[in-house]
Amino acid sequence: MKKVREVLVRSMKEMIFIVPVFFLAVLVSVLIELYIPDQIISNLLGKNLLIAIPLAAVLGIILPISRYATYPIASVLLSKGAGFGVIFALISGEVICESVIRDLVEIKYFGIKFFSVRLILSTLFVIAGGFLIEFLL
Amino acid sequence: MIANILNLTLTNFFNILPILVIAVIASQFANSFIPKGKIKNIVKEDTKNIAKASAIGIATPGPLLVFLPFLRTLRNKGLPISIVVAFMTGQALIGPMRLFLEVGYFGIMFFVYRVIIAFLTAIGIAICFKFLGKVIKF
Repeated sequence: MKKVREVLVRSMKEMIFIVPVFFLAVLVSVLIELYIPDQIISNLLGKNLLIAIPLAAVLGIILPISRYATYPIASVLLSKGAGFGVIFALISGEVICESVIRDLVEIKYFGIKFFSVRLILSTLFVIAGGFLIEFLL
Repeated sequence: MIANILNLTLTNFFNILPILVIAVIASQFANSFIPKGKIKNIVKEDTKNIAKASAIGIATPGPLLVFLPFLRTLRNKGLPISIVVAFMTGQALIGPMRLFLEVGYFGIMFFVYRVIIAFLTAIGIAICFKFLGKVIKF
């Protein structure tokens, strides 16, 4: 019982530390979602493959496309002639930095150095994967 | 407009908050009951375990956010950074729920290739972290 109380006290302390960050992250994600239209993404990705795959990965990462909005956008891009590599890079890029909320919580728990290295490596691997899938399909 | 922003923010906040609270409490339970260093002795930092962590990550449903407090606790208890990264990358890149969406939109082969590439990506990034961990303190 003493141990359970100890756990609950530590949980409360951790929540005091994480909940304000979490609330701020939700607010930022809402602002981004409201002010950046999905149409911008569609307009940018239908071009040259060598540019489009890295661009799709980067846009997937930085733009606040919601998980379920990525698929209709990617589907439209495919129908407009974008390759599977672009689709792969966009979808995979989107999940690397799925939301500002997760990113800030990850930074709070593991540090900015860890987050930055993971982000850079993930981006490079996703771009490489995009070219690979373009070749395979 | 401000009312709209606040309304959306509070709705999203209270939707995810219970998950975060459960995740924090679960991680604190793990913190209390797992002895320090125990994990390090059980989970060695080799390619086999990195591959296992990647595969478990890929097969695990739900948002990665839920697992972050728990992963941090396991990391503090000695879980190698490469294993943490393998799980995180696999879990983030693919989820079982995406199967239906992706197959529906782009066909089964796209999903199969994406799973294979995600698996290799998770292993690749984890191996990079294993070596980087020798020069950078994460």
